[in-house]
Amino acid sequence: MATNRLPDPLLVLDSLGEITIRFVRKSFSGILDGLASVGGVLVMCGQIMALFPKALQRPDSVVKEAMRLGVASIPLVFVTSLFVGMVAAFSAKYQFRDMVPLKYLGTSVAKLVLLELGPVLTGLVMSGRIGSSIAAQIATMKEKEEVDAMSVLDLQPLRYLAAPRVLVGMAAMPVLTTISCFLAIVGAWGVCVIGLGVTSYTFLSGTRLFFSPYDVFVCEIKALVFGLLISLMGYYHGSQAAGGAKGVGEATMKSVVSSSVMILLFDFLIAFLLLRQSPT
Amino acid sequence: MPGVQIDPNDEIIQLNHLRKSFWTTEGEQQVLQDVSLSIRRGETMVIIGGSGGGKSVILKHMIGLLQPDGGEVVVDGKVISTPDYFDGATIRRKMGMLFQMGALFDSMSVGENIAFALREHNPGIPEDSVDEIIARLLGLINLNPAFASKMPSELSGGMKKRVSLARTLAVEPEIVLYDEPTTGLDPITSDVINDLIIDTQHQFNVTSVVVTHDMVSAFKVADRIAMLYQGHIIFVGTPEDVRTTHNPYVQQFVRGQRKLEAVAV
Repeated sequence: MATNRLPDPLLVLDSLGEITIRFVRKSFSGILDGLASVGGVLVMCGQIMALFPKALQRPDSVVKEAMRLGVASIPLVFVTSLFVGMVAAFSAKYQFRDMVPLKYLGTSVAKLVLLELGPVLTGLVMSGRIGSSIAAQIATMKEKEEVDAMSVLDLQPLRYLAAPRVLVGMAAMPVLTTISCFLAIVGAWGVCVIGLGVTSYTFLSGTRLFFSPYDVFVCEIKALVFGLLISLMGYYHGSQAAGGAKGVGEATMKSVVSSSVMILLFDFLIAFLLLRQSPT
Repeated sequence: MPGVQIDPNDEIIQLNHLRKSFWTTEGEQQVLQDVSLSIRRGETMVIIGGSGGGKSVILKHMIGLLQPDGGEVVVDGKVISTPDYFDGATIRRKMGMLFQMGALFDSMSVGENIAFALREHNPGIPEDSVDEIIARLLGLINLNPAFASKMPSELSGGMKKRVSLARTLAVEPEIVLYDEPTTGLDPITSDVINDLIIDTQHQFNVTSVVVTHDMVSAFKVADRIAMLYQGHIIFVGTPEDVRTTHNPYVQQFVRGQRKLEAVAV
């Protein structure tokens, strides 16, 4: 016959105490781990940047990465940017309805593309293309002990693996973003002329109406920072991978997620710093 | 080993009370509890022990890829077991390591793999000299010079390990560490690797540390054999000592018997 014994109150208290201690310890260790990761990334970033001149001493590896990460990304940028521009035009036309003259359609699209859509969407797309590629490659090299082999040969992995990739990431993003902005405006122009009944002259004069070189400056600064974030997160998570194929997959996923979140965070920070006041 | 003079008092690597733990999903795992071992200059020391017992962890401590939780690693009279030792230190130039799967750089050809460290450590070295060194090292590992242009993906497992050895020897190390050099190879290819380990010791007068659980290989290449068991070095002796010891754990391992009780002592 089963007995229905109540637990000893002291035992319950003891268990509750232990659960609380575990929870607090876990929470604190999570916070400390997070801070350690941020610190680790910042230190790594400084070390990598200091190695840029040495990375340039091996131009063949930089060119190879530029072809693989930058040039090979152009078709993807081409397709996504054209569609983004086309959607931007439709969206602007819908919002204008009969309240805003259509001559401002080009203005709206150009501002939107230069200040926001161009750098941010290119950044998000490239975090999936460049960041994941770097993370998967470095994680696989780590799993196959190639990174250790490099260290054993007294060759700094940061110099030979990280610096060329981060350098290319920082150089490629402004170029890709410029192409993206141009193609998005072309896409919007095509939609306006073919589908929305706006003349080419009206659209193009609209794009010039409130054009400011400062917008291009902000756009390129964003692209440069996003390029750094994408390649840095790719390398960092790749170098932290452990546990075989699962580890490689997790590193790739973490790289895309963290760089995407950081792109949006830094997008706000840059806007806050550079767009608070109108340029004089 | 005939032809190699070993001074028993000249110790090139010393591990003193080494401790190392790793955190896993099951909690803390203490892999090395108290490992002390001395390796003499010019000898081939083989470390045997069960899979997952921490043999490779010992090698990684010797070359500074891991830092111990306690104890110290002394290489050529210098304590290298401090976190910042390898920043700017040149001790690694004295050491080379052959990894379990070869760890060749996939994006480089065989020749580029062999010459990578050579070119980087000697900027301005003439390409003719580099080509000559590549051809000589490929000859040493019994591969045709035409292999220099092949990619690692075109090589068999045994060839990858041989090329990895050539890459290690390109920087003329004084100490070569071998991590499971014959694992995954057929007996004949394993013997080729064993001969290469012996030839390397003789020709280059290097100190070798070999981690393996292949007893055929251990008996063939070793000057001395150390056994790692449950985080401790429980036995050090010559291959003959290993054959004749009454240590039940060593005998169990050498004979490949599952139960300790079955070992006749």
